[in-house]
Amino acid sequence: MSVRAVILRAAALLLLVAFVTAPQLFAFAFAPLTANNAPAIYNQGSLLALTLSHLRIVALATLASTVLAVALGIFVTRPKGREFLPLSRSLVNIGQTFPPIAVLAIAVPLVGFGEKPTFIALFLYGLLPIFENTLAGLTGVSPRTLEAAKGMGMNARQRLWQVELPLALPVILAGIRLSVIISLGTATIGSTVAAKGLGEVIIAGLQSNNVAFILQGGLVVALLAVLIHDGLGLVERAAARRLGRPLDGTA
Amino acid sequence: MIEIEHLSKRYGDNIVVDDVSFTIGEGEIAVVVGTSGAGKSTLLRMINRLVAPSAGRVLIDGQDTTTIPEDELRHRIGYVIQGYGLFPHRTVAENIATVPRLLGWDKKRIATRVEELLDLFQLDPGEFARKFPHQLSGGQQQRVGVARALAAKPALLLMDEPFGSLDPVIRGKAQDDLLAIQRRLGTTIVLVTHDMNEAFHLGDRIAVMDQARLLQYAKPADLLTHPAEAFVEQLVGTAERPFRLLSLMTVQDAMEPGHADGEPITVSATLRDALAQLIWRGRPVLPVADASGAPIGRISVDGILKHGRPLA
Repeated sequence: MSVRAVILRAAALLLLVAFVTAPQLFAFAFAPLTANNAPAIYNQGSLLALTLSHLRIVALATLASTVLAVALGIFVTRPKGREFLPLSRSLVNIGQTFPPIAVLAIAVPLVGFGEKPTFIALFLYGLLPIFENTLAGLTGVSPRTLEAAKGMGMNARQRLWQVELPLALPVILAGIRLSVIISLGTATIGSTVAAKGLGEVIIAGLQSNNVAFILQGGLVVALLAVLIHDGLGLVERAAARRLGRPLDGTA
Repeated sequence: MIEIEHLSKRYGDNIVVDDVSFTIGEGEIAVVVGTSGAGKSTLLRMINRLVAPSAGRVLIDGQDTTTIPEDELRHRIGYVIQGYGLFPHRTVAENIATVPRLLGWDKKRIATRVEELLDLFQLDPGEFARKFPHQLSGGQQQRVGVARALAAKPALLLMDEPFGSLDPVIRGKAQDDLLAIQRRLGTTIVLVTHDMNEAFHLGDRIAVMDQARLLQYAKPADLLTHPAEAFVEQLVGTAERPFRLLSLMTVQDAMEPGHADGEPITVSATLRDALAQLIWRGRPVLPVADASGAPIGRISVDGILKHGRPLA
């Protein structure tokens, strides 16, 4: 990574931390966007607390998606599970094509308002990239490497843990990264069903016709997305470097 | 000793290996040759049970391999494939340590063994132990592949086209190295190839396969002088025959008593090399010297030529 890129990222991180901990410092920048003496900075709760709970629900949902999608990906690439591949693919695809807002609408009557329906929506929405990447990673392991592993007397479990998963790891990580980024943005709609998150700031702005609020919510989510995307990209590249095929700069 | 008894493999109506039997003596190199699709690799893979035989059995030192659990059997049999299948995410040392680690050797024993093997294959441990496979040349990868297969001191080594992806110059060197290491360790080897030169260079015995059947299993010289079928004759190459035969014998076999002038030929050289020397230098006879350089006899073109055809 070039020095300039490091400086840019450090600056973005600094900006984010400063903004969520002491938003009043930035009031001067947002004041021109308000009308009728409306507050320039979100004043209905702590931005820091909203950011943390936003991150928490994204982390939990992604963790759950990862566990299920990776487990499913492993299962359908084993001889015993191969016949379930088309079925699993369809199910995961439905999770992706079903709009999260519709999931919320269906989930609320079942589990009530709050974090739970948001969690369900994000969980379903995040499955596809991780599942597909797990499949791609596992089926992309060279048949020669597997033949050698088998020929040396590794049993199925040893082959999975010592050869297949380590080799598929960079691709699986890329799927997780994609899922996290999608969830970060999607999680804002959770605020429509009373989940604590940065969506609250945006919705408050929409309701009071306050562009400054909308922009603040959007800005924090965007900074989070950029920084997390970069951070996970670094982890991925570190994993890929060990395999001798560093990903190109687009990661 | 490896005894292959009536091994067959069928996939549906397709017979890939048809009732093949032969025996490989302790410390011998048996080379299986044939055209592609002849069933060579399948035969090899039935020895370590990567392919389950449809019929027949394999005995290792008298023990039926089906009585040994698959993984345990494979821990005891080294396996080298074309392209080697090195683990790209593991260092050279970790690759070599694969089977010892599966067997639960302690760390110190593994480290000692890895170092020993790197030395044996002329790879400086300080330089290579921590490298990853993609940082190695083809020849180095090949050596690591064989070292990995030998790590747990298997009595039997199976090799499927182990030199197939090397260029000709490195291939010759790799074959010589393998021979030297095999002579030193006394490992029994079954090697599959479609390269006849490789078969004659390495094989103590050669098994010729065609269309799933074993046509002939014999010493290289017998294959040349007494081919069992027309296909064997064709495969060894009729034009190549005398030269192959000469390459299997050393100057020792055709040496005559007496004296000759000129630069001596060493007694351990093959007759083929000796003939080349005689032709190139334009001499009908040259002296022969032993390893220390002392003259012990002479060798003539006529004497060599007599060995280039079956002795009636």
